[in-house]
Amino acid sequence: MRPGEPVDLPAYGAGAAPDAPALLLTGLCKAFGGNTAVDQVHLAVPRGSFFGLVGPNGAGKTTSLSMAVGLLRPDAGSARIFGVDVWEDPVRAKSLVGVLPDGLALPERLTGRELLTYTGQLRGLDAATVAQRAAELLGVLELDSAERTLVVDYSAGMRKKIGLAAALLHAPKLLVLDEPFEAVDPVSATTIRTILQRFVASGGAVVLSSHVMALVEQLCDHVAVIARGRVVASGPLDQVRGGQSLEATFVDLVGGRVGGQEGLSWLAS
Amino acid sequence: MVGVLIRMKLRMLRNSVRGRRAAAVLVGGLFALIAGVGTALVCGLDVGDPEVSVDLTAALLAVWTLGWLFGPLVTGGSDETLQPEHFRLLPIGSTALARGFLAAALVGVAPLATAVALCGLVVQGLRLGPVAAVVAVLAVLLQLAFAVLLSRVVFAGLGAVLRSRRGRDVGVVLAALVGLAFVPVRLAFETLGPVLLHRESPVFSAVLRALPSGWGVVAVHAAGRSDWLLVAAPLAGLAVLVVLLVPAWAGLLRARMTRVASAGGAAVRGGRTDRSGRRSLLPAGPVGAVAAKELRTWRRDARRRVTLVSPLLIGLALPVITTVSSRGAVDAIAFGGLFALGLCCLQAGNLFGFDGTALWQTLVTPGAERADVRGRQLAWLILVSPVAIAAALVLPAVSGDPGVYPWVLGLTPAVLGGSAGVVLLLSTYAAYPVPSQRNGNPFAAGNNPGCAAALRQLVMSLLLLVAAGPVVLIDLVGVLTDLPVLTWLGVLVGVASGVVAARWWGDLAHHRLVARGPELLAVLRTA
Repeated sequence: MRPGEPVDLPAYGAGAAPDAPALLLTGLCKAFGGNTAVDQVHLAVPRGSFFGLVGPNGAGKTTSLSMAVGLLRPDAGSARIFGVDVWEDPVRAKSLVGVLPDGLALPERLTGRELLTYTGQLRGLDAATVAQRAAELLGVLELDSAERTLVVDYSAGMRKKIGLAAALLHAPKLLVLDEPFEAVDPVSATTIRTILQRFVASGGAVVLSSHVMALVEQLCDHVAVIARGRVVASGPLDQVRGGQSLEATFVDLVGGRVGGQEGLSWLAS
Repeated sequence: MVGVLIRMKLRMLRNSVRGRRAAAVLVGGLFALIAGVGTALVCGLDVGDPEVSVDLTAALLAVWTLGWLFGPLVTGGSDETLQPEHFRLLPIGSTALARGFLAAALVGVAPLATAVALCGLVVQGLRLGPVAAVVAVLAVLLQLAFAVLLSRVVFAGLGAVLRSRRGRDVGVVLAALVGLAFVPVRLAFETLGPVLLHRESPVFSAVLRALPSGWGVVAVHAAGRSDWLLVAAPLAGLAVLVVLLVPAWAGLLRARMTRVASAGGAAVRGGRTDRSGRRSLLPAGPVGAVAAKELRTWRRDARRRVTLVSPLLIGLALPVITTVSSRGAVDAIAFGGLFALGLCCLQAGNLFGFDGTALWQTLVTPGAERADVRGRQLAWLILVSPVAIAAALVLPAVSGDPGVYPWVLGLTPAVLGGSAGVVLLLSTYAAYPVPSQRNGNPFAAGNNPGCAAALRQLVMSLLLLVAAGPVVLIDLVGVLTDLPVLTWLGVLVGVASGVVAARWWGDLAHHRLVARGPELLAVLRTA
């Protein structure tokens, strides 16, 4: 089977259980120096779900997602993509997932189309397929007007979009997106939402992290709240928010106190 | 504001100096201070003839001032602990900011070492009387401010030029020339020592004293003789220079804060973006894709060009200069290509570092590690082979000793193959982070502390020797047994050992990338 073709999951054989969740994290731990960034994270992303990962700054979202896709080696625990262990059978696991990391570099001295061509060929797609998919992605994401601009000169929103295009290029079954909507303009954000919703409707699973509760509430059917390196709530959206808004649930769960009411009297002129 | 800036700089220095970097900074600082104390001692030495003492001091202080001008080029840009961009939104005028930056620039290890070196003037002043000592203290302050300001203004100006794409190509050549400057400097040291001590050249002494770096010592000695005109004129001159340099720096700061730096290569020339129909000589598939990306990056990234062009220039020019200056004692010219190749290899052995965190793409792509290593090797060979082969074909003839042809022709493929292996080995086993690509200064070198650099050099040289070993062996046997056939056979052996080295070390790099890819990414993330 050529990479990039629609994957018939059971054909993936041993380990790829037909009913395994799209992404299963069990007991993931990571400490940097003395700081525990991620502490026993358990997470199950069902097939065909649109999964939102929310949490305060520094809660361990990026660290968990990095360990889930093979970018950061966990101290303990495992990550399975459709039942395939990311750290024991990386080649098979990585062919099933498309990744958009946050804040990492790209091959900066390529144009958008060159970047997609490079990414596709690196994945072993044939030239004609890559060219056709790249043209479609650049068109849909409205990056084709910046045909001669190098990625290093892209704006933050354009970088997100070209990163998303690179993640979609090989037609993965699972998308792991770290802050995909950050710095993206409203029109492009709507485009991206539509693309992702179509992806889920056709059977794919999406995991995205975000700070924006309203967005997660609108888009996702499942949600997990992560705080201080632990998953404090996880499940279908309605079950997690239990009748109130996700934002209120979030503030309750994270134990935060909404500040801004006291002090700062000098600010009023 | 001056106090705030100084405290801010000290705090930032303290926060950035941690762990392994702390050791490097400490060792570097220690050497600088030792050099400073040494200079002060030599200046303070009573050499008998006061005229000799003036010349000697003026010469040493000229060297320190030049150090402020050329040091930053070698170490990778002037001190950027405090960046004017951080102050862009504050309601502070650029002249006030320049004054504050001057005060903060006087804080640090390099200015401290320079101040210690300048204290040689005070030692001399003390010997000449209390007034001379007071003059000396004034001179120390003015000369320190002058050296620091001159360096800052020159680099602020250079930085403004280097922001443009054209300017960066100029910068590449400039960096190469600074590397070459070591040769004339060595010659200068060998010839000038005696000239100074025996006062052989009155013109030279006059020039040393006429340079602003010599004005301080002139004033101190004039104070000893109560020649007040010669006390006032040089001190006033230094003060005027300092006063003039501050607004110059302010202007450059203003320019830097209000203009946006283009990250480089805003547009790709021509319309040659990848359409499906375009034919390429590179192999189809992942390896070819990586090679194509690498070739584009080498061409478009100013920093990559620096790492390749400047060692090539230095490597080819240095043997020529040494041969010319030593009247052809060795056929260094004939081996110039190999020398240049070795230098390139040392500079380029951080390929993943140059790309920053872009390594993640290889890590999330199944089985891409092998293609990444082989593609980079292929691109490297495509870039350096033409130069190395041309040098191997031409230089032995130029050197006037065609007898070295079999040696050069055998060693070149061996070292070429070896270099393709070593670059990837160093890149995977000893990567270090380089500042983000988006700030665009080709001289921003990243923190590769001196001792680590020396270790890399050692490892690289040893490995290249291993690759060259079989050729050297068979050529030696050929020479000893007087069988020219064997030395020509060395060419074949060279090709074979080059291929073996490139494949073998490439494999090691590939396995390292598979086994420790995430850890490599973590290292690059610390930039």
